[in-house]
Amino acid sequence: MDSASFQFVLFGLVVAAFSNFSQSRVWRSAVLFVASMVFLLLLAHDPRVLTAVAGFLALGYICLLLLQRGWSRLFVWIMVAVVLVYAWLKRYTFLPNGILPHGSFFLLGLSYILFRVLHLLVDSKDRGSRAPIGVGAYLLYMLNFNTFLSGPIQFYDDFARDQFALQPIPLGARVVGLQIERIIRGFFKVNVLATLLFAAQEDALQKIFQPLPLSLRLFAAFRLTVAYPFFLYANFSGYIDIVIASSRLMRVRLPENFDRPFSATSFLDFWNRWHMSLSNWVKTYVYNPLLMALMRHISSVALQPFLGVFCFFAAFFLVGIWHGRTSEFIFLGLLFGIGVSVNKLWQVTMARVLGRKGYRALAGNFLYSSSSRGLTFAWFALANFWFWADWRQIGSIFTALAPVQWLGVWVAIWLCATVILALWEWLRAALLAVKTSEGPVLVSRYARVVYASALGLAAVVMTILLNQPVPEVIYKKF
Amino acid sequence: MSQMDANQPDAAGEAKLPRRDWVLLPVLSLFTIALISLSTEWTARRVFPQYPGNIYQCIVGGNTPDGTRGVPNSVCRGNRGDSPIEDYRLNSCGHRAGMECGPKPPGTYRIVLLGASFAIGEGVPMEKTLAAVLPADLSSRTGGKVDLYNEGMFSESPATIGSHFDQVTAAQPDMILWVLTPFDIKLETVVMSSAGSSPAAGKDDSPPREKLSVMGRIRRRLRVTIATRGIAETTSVLFHYYVGMYSNHLTSVVLLRHLLDRNQSQYVKSYLANPDAEFLNANPGAGWQSNLTRFGADYEQIEAQARAAGVPLVVVLIPNRAQAAMISMGKWPSGADPFRLDEDLRSIVSGRGGIYVDILPDFRDVPSAEQYFYMVNGHPDEHGNALLAGMLARALTSGAVPALGTGPRGPLEPR
Repeated sequence: MDSASFQFVLFGLVVAAFSNFSQSRVWRSAVLFVASMVFLLLLAHDPRVLTAVAGFLALGYICLLLLQRGWSRLFVWIMVAVVLVYAWLKRYTFLPNGILPHGSFFLLGLSYILFRVLHLLVDSKDRGSRAPIGVGAYLLYMLNFNTFLSGPIQFYDDFARDQFALQPIPLGARVVGLQIERIIRGFFKVNVLATLLFAAQEDALQKIFQPLPLSLRLFAAFRLTVAYPFFLYANFSGYIDIVIASSRLMRVRLPENFDRPFSATSFLDFWNRWHMSLSNWVKTYVYNPLLMALMRHISSVALQPFLGVFCFFAAFFLVGIWHGRTSEFIFLGLLFGIGVSVNKLWQVTMARVLGRKGYRALAGNFLYSSSSRGLTFAWFALANFWFWADWRQIGSIFTALAPVQWLGVWVAIWLCATVILALWEWLRAALLAVKTSEGPVLVSRYARVVYASALGLAAVVMTILLNQPVPEVIYKKF
Repeated sequence: MSQMDANQPDAAGEAKLPRRDWVLLPVLSLFTIALISLSTEWTARRVFPQYPGNIYQCIVGGNTPDGTRGVPNSVCRGNRGDSPIEDYRLNSCGHRAGMECGPKPPGTYRIVLLGASFAIGEGVPMEKTLAAVLPADLSSRTGGKVDLYNEGMFSESPATIGSHFDQVTAAQPDMILWVLTPFDIKLETVVMSSAGSSPAAGKDDSPPREKLSVMGRIRRRLRVTIATRGIAETTSVLFHYYVGMYSNHLTSVVLLRHLLDRNQSQYVKSYLANPDAEFLNANPGAGWQSNLTRFGADYEQIEAQARAAGVPLVVVLIPNRAQAAMISMGKWPSGADPFRLDEDLRSIVSGRGGIYVDILPDFRDVPSAEQYFYMVNGHPDEHGNALLAGMLARALTSGAVPALGTGPRGPLEPR
């Protein structure tokens, strides 16, 4: 079962229907547990390949028990051990090849399990008074099929509050309608938009190496750079739409993960809108503790704003590294880290030069915010090369054009993104300004039904066409 | 960032839907779907007008041992998929030759073109077909007078060409050029299974099939498919088959396919999922090998007739759209090989003493070669015909055919 496939959506709807047979938390938990096990087995095909995930879950639970029973002096060692075991299982390339595990393991979802395990461990140490987490609740939280593969990263307390509530959150016709609309939107994003954008990116990748006129190759480089961020957004946010809606139908609210990221007017703002549950986790468990620790040790007031710069770099460098196990992701982390830290440094410097009020006025300026939005997009688009390509591909892509030509392409992307995203913001604001007494017409249930029907039709037709083999030369027997 | 400001609908509370919305919203949904479907179909029919008649109205025969024949002095009109509506005027011998049949003019080097829809120039005006462009190109390259008499016919199969070879010799050719496509090799199976009376068909030693009702045939086919592919894949195959069968009658599907198939990599990926793409496998299955064996037998028969007439028979493979795209891209998925059929055909033709000219490698130098074919129809458009004519002219004058020499030279020596 592919994530975000028709089967996955159907699976989620069937499980949600079963889950709503009773509002008892035992019933709902049992349904979620059985569904998660079935999902895992459907993904893995062979239960034996799940031993690595099972072992990591067991390690996490043992560590959790130790901390819950007051062994907090072992906290640092526990954290190091968990991260090292994770890196070992994921076969990070910085580890000596000889010690890496052999055999085929199913490791999908392990990255997200790591976040959940670390969150529980840190919280157990910090908040020793919390009631111990039972093994059933632990497994339910870790293996919840809605968040297993790609998040969003939900904190345990939020999960437990909805999942184990004596009186689950209400689920009426209006909410069901909204979730179905969201599932359709997500399905369309993943199966139509993302598929077409990925094809456009692959096409551009071909064209850049073909003996075409320079203008066409430059355009191919432009498309290659621009298509991937949109593909990634459509693919990931579409999947998140489906799982958030599916989970809501099971009366569990998941955190939002995207908030119109390409509207961000700075790279820092971008991370408040892109993979929000990840950046929230990183801020909670990396940025804040690191900043507090540095501030405790460095008392110079003049230096304190720059501590934030460093902490942002460190936090988002880790975000980059977390995305993969090879050296490309170290570079991705550097680009993310440079993006946020330079952005923070700029903010600090401009606030000093212009004063807070002056800087706020500048940030509110239309031209400034539009070009910042374009620059944010262009930087993210550039960084993405290290997300989807390996060094060999990156080398051949960047040598397909001269450096000055690539610079021209990147500047063109910045300028186009500035203009197009500004137009998009203007259009969106204009459409949302059309209101009735119940609110903007665009988000009324009538408008939602219209575009959900349109997207649903498009999604079904395009999914069939995209999955149907191209026919041979049209041939009619006579 | 708040973890729990997630689901805005909850913030709106659970106010009850007004009663009218239980009717209004489904009606609105159906109306939207109907409006979009109808307007898309309306637009598609304007972008790609479909001729109501059958393009085959001027031919007779079909899947019989004699193959297809053009009705003398008739006109076919029609189109398929995204190709424009064209007239196919046949002469008194039933050929789309652009000239009357009969002896060649004196001092002319005549080529007789054989093949199916690629040879006849489907979707292309007569004067822009490969058959019309090639002789002019050859004449200028050789300095002699080359004419080409086109005996290509829709759905002509290698298995049936031999049955009307007398028409080929009647045109007094100096050379016979046989334009093959991957589909022609596949057509061997279609014709064999329908006719069952060709020499190759006699070699089929499978047990005779029992006579079954339609339902019985469906049940048997289902049993076989489930046994070989499993229930899940069978359901998927059936779904796509029936959806495809019905949706192909909609011009909206033609329009959408036309838009989707513009994308080179997406098109190649989708095409390779097609069971008809067997010929692009680096190691084709037994079914395809059997087609090649049948083709070898048919080729041998035709080659023997050409040799008896003292005319050289030249065979060329024209790639289909996906094959051209793959060669042009310069890379393809592992397990695929766009040159495999080319090598197989060369081996069959050369092994039986024939002349095989190879134009497939030329597609390496053609960026986005798939753009030279109609996206849905699959035949080369007029630019594709011109491109193919140029490649063929180069190949034929590069020493493959001694009479055409190795470049510009003096007058040709017709028989």
